[in-house]
Parts: sequence; structure tokens; C-alpha cells
Amino acid sequence: MNDSNINHLPPEAFSQAEVRTKQGFSIVWLIPLIALAIGGWLAFKAITEHGPLISIHFTTAEGLEAGKTKIKYKDVVIGEVEEIKLSEKLDGVIVLARMDKDTKPYLTEETRFWVVRARISAGEVSGLGTLLSGAYIGMDPIQEGKPTRSFTGLAKQPLVTADEPGQHYLLRSPSLGSLNIASPVFYRQIKVGEVVDYDFDQTGQAVEIKVFIHAPHDKRINSATKFWNASGVDVKMDARGIKVDTQSIVSIFQGGIAFDTPSTLDAITKVSDSFKFPLHPDREAATKKSYAIKNYYMMYFDQSVRGLVPGAPVEFGGIQIGEVVDFKLIIDTASLKVRIPVLVMIEPERLELYSNGKKVDYQSAIEERAKGNKRLIQEELLKHGMRAQLKTGNLLTGQLYIEIGLFPDAEPVEVAYENDYPIFPTVSTPLGKIAEDISKVVKKIDSIPIEELGEDLHETIVTLRATLQEFRGRRETSIRRFYPT
Amino acid sequence: MALIEATARQRGMASCHSCHLLCRLPSEEREGRFSCPRCGAALHSRKKNSLTRCWALLIAASILLIPANLLPITITSALGHTQADTIISGVIYFIHSGMWPIALVIFVASVFVPVVKLSILALLMFSVQRHWQWRPKDRTRLYRLTELVGRWSMVDVYVVTILVALVKLGAVATIDAGFGAVFFAGVVVLTMFAAESFDPRLIWDAMEEANE
Repeated sequence: MNDSNINHLPPEAFSQAEVRTKQGFSIVWLIPLIALAIGGWLAFKAITEHGPLISIHFTTAEGLEAGKTKIKYKDVVIGEVEEIKLSEKLDGVIVLARMDKDTKPYLTEETRFWVVRARISAGEVSGLGTLLSGAYIGMDPIQEGKPTRSFTGLAKQPLVTADEPGQHYLLRSPSLGSLNIASPVFYRQIKVGEVVDYDFDQTGQAVEIKVFIHAPHDKRINSATKFWNASGVDVKMDARGIKVDTQSIVSIFQGGIAFDTPSTLDAITKVSDSFKFPLHPDREAATKKSYAIKNYYMMYFDQSVRGLVPGAPVEFGGIQIGEVVDFKLIIDTASLKVRIPVLVMIEPERLELYSNGKKVDYQSAIEERAKGNKRLIQEELLKHGMRAQLKTGNLLTGQLYIEIGLFPDAEPVEVAYENDYPIFPTVSTPLGKIAEDISKVVKKIDSIPIEELGEDLHETIVTLRATLQEFRGRRETSIRRFYPT
Repeated sequence: MALIEATARQRGMASCHSCHLLCRLPSEEREGRFSCPRCGAALHSRKKNSLTRCWALLIAASILLIPANLLPITITSALGHTQADTIISGVIYFIHSGMWPIALVIFVASVFVPVVKLSILALLMFSVQRHWQWRPKDRTRLYRLTELVGRWSMVDVYVVTILVALVKLGAVATIDAGFGAVFFAGVVVLTMFAAESFDPRLIWDAMEEANE
């Protein structure tokens, strides 16, 4: 059969198709519906998870790259840098970053940002991962404070982030020494904290050092705690040998602080944030008692102060209550009178004050007397004949000290002031007194029977020599007996 | 003798898809659903629901094209540095590194071809629905082109799969397929199905209608 034949066949010659009921909805429309659902879900997710855009001001964009640099907290990515541009004043760069929406409550004024780069110092090595992965921006989220969207980035990674438990303390020191930020703080030679900041105090007279002590070691700190500078090596040589005291090799290079809380008679209290601990120069100084109140007095001597040095003790009843600070020589050109003013420092807390058999605090005693419109204790005592006197402390070296004593016969004086220092009246030591002291010593030396001692020694040596000769003779005879030649 | 241009459809007939029996369709019920009297398979004079299916798949493909281009197609981590690349960011990267040919290949295979394919299919279906009589031969050529080019758009997906399998150097470098790759594969598969569902005979049906 050919084509034309088929065409000429009547339609009835072919088999008839069967008829079935028509289908309604075409299932194929499910595909775009699914696609729409997926697309819609993605769009919804993108919109709802669209976090806030923040701007961070950094001094430099070194290592930062738009679209690549991440913002991380505890190594979890919580944002990404979208754009980096120069600030209007050209004093830095503005980094625009898209944050996760969960970070919203943490974007407050207190929150800090910094760039994490590889950092190698004597104390620690950190951020090595960034050598391979490139820098990232670290975040210290803090919920307190006003919410904001623009931040100023820190130049350096903060040593202590808000999530780290612990406590800050303030130390006061006359100078910073070799301490620096990140210098370690040791407790029994274990690093428990670090220096986080330092600055001048308000007056500029001292340095305030802020340290952070990690929990739980911050519990060891109370009012009795002593801090001292543990930089360098303390070498001490005494009868028992050489003692080297150091905290760690790191502290030698980098400086460091150590603290200890010794057992003490004083009551132990918790310290407040504003409490400033003194930073002692070394462990020995720290273990000494320190006194907060220092009173300065001016003393005038009209006799030679040869042998008096700064630091010479000021004693009362044989107990040191202060020391000499400074002195100089003044000659009055008119009268050609020579005067030697000596500045002394007295720590009145070294004296225990009792009132009617009850111990009182120095400070409260002052307040008590001030209330009753009474004179200060010192003024009262001065009126009652308290006087200072130069005394010889060491006859061989001629060192002097200042002895304070009560001279009931002395004429009462009113307290005068010079250069804001109260003048402490003195009594001159009669020259004869010193001469007497010296003659006493000379007499004692004289009374040593040197000649007799010499004779005795001579006799002893002669006897000893005879004994030895005799012994040698015996030894030789016994050798001959055993080994005849 | 001049060849007679005759189609089964004109004669009210259709061939069975499975047993190839030529059947007569009841003339009064041309739009109904028929089945082969010999083997029972469904009979269609044209591909079933061609336009509906094609439109549905085309719309689905266009929707998936958006996440396919926005989501990362590869996630590369080399030496600790992780980087997610979308198709476009890859193209831009290659342009910036001066590798124009590679950028061109990626752009053509991954952006240009899928978009053109979708446009051609949309145009063809629009023309059929509107009974256009405009250059039926060229339109058929266009259709053949889309069908031919279809599987080659999968090149990207193949490349990503091979890279993922090859570059697994532990901490040094790894490549992972991003979600964009899944959506891109979806686009390619759906457009292939769409091209498959389109019945090119519909183009010529419009010409016949005009002749009648």
C-alpha cells in the first residue's frame, strides 16, 4: 500500500479511538507552585534575616576587604564588611558592615570593635590564624548603653572582654616602671591577671595602673592585699646564701605585678571599685606595714648635723615613728647666724592612741578633738614640752638620729608655721653630752687589757710549739720501729 | 504528481504513542480524551497540554533563576580563607584577573544561555497562542536550537561537581557546592523539560488554520 492509497481509504476503515472522561486540573502547575514556594521562602528569609548595617571608624583599613572581612565573636561569624570608604576628614576609614539580626540588642555605645591581626609579644602570641585567613573584626558585645549604629573601632584588641569574669582594680604607684599594658599579674607565681590600662592620676603626681584579675582569683583580693612590682630580679645575699626572687622570665622582660594577701591582725574588708592599692616597689616593701598618714614638720638645729642623712630615724621612746626627709643650710647675711632647717616626716599611726583606756583611731581622734574645739594632739604635746633633739646613733660612724622626748621644764611654745610646715621646737644637745658619750667609749676601749692579752697569747703559742715538737719526735720513733731501714 | 500536504490531524486521526496504531478520532469530540483501542494507551493528536506544561515549567524555571544567581554556587576555602562565589561574582573575578575567555565561557553557559532559552520558549509559546504566522520555519529552527543547547547549560553544574570531588585537600583547600548550584541545576532541568513539552507542530497548526 502506498500513501495515496491510505489517503483514499474512508475514515471508517481505521479503528475508532475510545473516549474517556476529561481530566481537570493539570498536575504540572504544581512545579511552578513549588518553585514559587521555594523562591518566596528564600526571599522571606533574606528579608527577615537582613540585619542592621553599622559603620565603624578605624584609623586604617589595613587587612580589611569589602565583601570578605568577617565580624566574629568567639570565632563565630556574625557580620560581614560590605563597604570600606574614607572618612570625610580623611582621618580614617569608615567600614560599613552588615550584622546578623540577632546582634541587634548588642549594638550599643559600650560595644567595642577592633581588628584582629597576628600579634606576637613577649607575653603571648595571638591571632596566628589570621596569617592565613586574613584579618577579621572582633567584637565585644555589651548590652548596656544606648543603641547605636556607628562605632569607633579600637586600635588594639582589648585585653579583657565583657564576657570574661573577673574584677578591675586600681593601683597607685609613683612611676610606671617597666610595666606596660598586658604586663602579667601574678599570684604565687601563677598569672591570674594583667595590666589593662594606666594613666596619670588627677594631680599628675602619681600613676594609676588598672589591672584585671580573672575570676575566681579576684576573691583573693581584700583590704589586706599587698601589690608589689615584680619586674626584674631581686637578688638578696645574706648569711644563708643568695636568694633570687623573681616571678617569671616574662616578667623580667615585660614587667609584672605580684600580689599576696597576708594574714594580718587588721580587720579584712572587701574593697570598693574606687579603692586604690599602693603598688610597692618590691616584695619586702609590700610586707612592711605602711601608713597612710604622713605629717611633715620643720625642725631648726643650730648645731652641726654632721652624720644626719635623709632617711635617718626619728624616734620617740626608742621606737621609730618617722624619718628625716631633707635638710639644708641657711645663713642670715645680716646677722651671720647659721640655721639648719630639717624636714622630718612622722607617721602618727605608728603610735597607738588610747583614750580613757580604749584604743582610738588616729583619724577619729583628730575629728573628736576638732569637735570639742580642742587643739590637735601634737600641738598639745608641744605645749607640754615635747622637743626634738639630735642624738648619736652610732659612735663609730657618727650617725645621728632625732630623738623626740618630753622636757617638762621647757618653756611652752605656740606652734608656728613655715612653708605650711609646723615648726617642731628643738632642744640642742649639749656638746659636753656628746663628749661624755665618746669618753665613755674611749674609757671602755682603754679598760681592755691589751698588753695582758698579748702576753697570754705569747705564752700559749710557746707552749703549743713545744707540744707539737714533742709529738713529731714520737711519731718518727714509731715509724722507725715499724719500718726499720 | 504534486505531493499532498496532509496531516493525521486534518484527517481526524492520531497514532498511538506506544503501539503506533493509527486511530481515527471521533470527529464530534476532538477535544476529548482518547485511548488506543488496541493497547489502551492515551491518544493525543498533539502533545498533551503542551502549552500549559511548558508555561508551568517555564515559570518555575524563571523563579528558580533568581536564587540560582543570588546564592553562592561554590564555597572555596583555601588556607583558612573562606569565600563564597555566585555565578556573577565568578565572572567578575575572572574579568578582573584578565581571563576574558574563561569569563566569557562562564557567562555564556551560565547566564546568557539559560536566559535566552527561557526567552525563546516564551516567545514560541506566545506566538503559538496568538496564532502568529510569522516565519514558521525560523521559529522551528529556534526551537531546535533550544532543545539542542539544553543539556549543555549543565556545564556549570558538572564543573562544580568535579571540583568538589577533586579539591578536597583537608585544611589547605576545599571546594563545596553552594545552594546556588542546586537551583541552577533546577533551572536547567526545568527548561529542558519545558522544551521537551513544547510541541513544534503547534507552529504549523497555525499556518493550516490560516489556509483553511
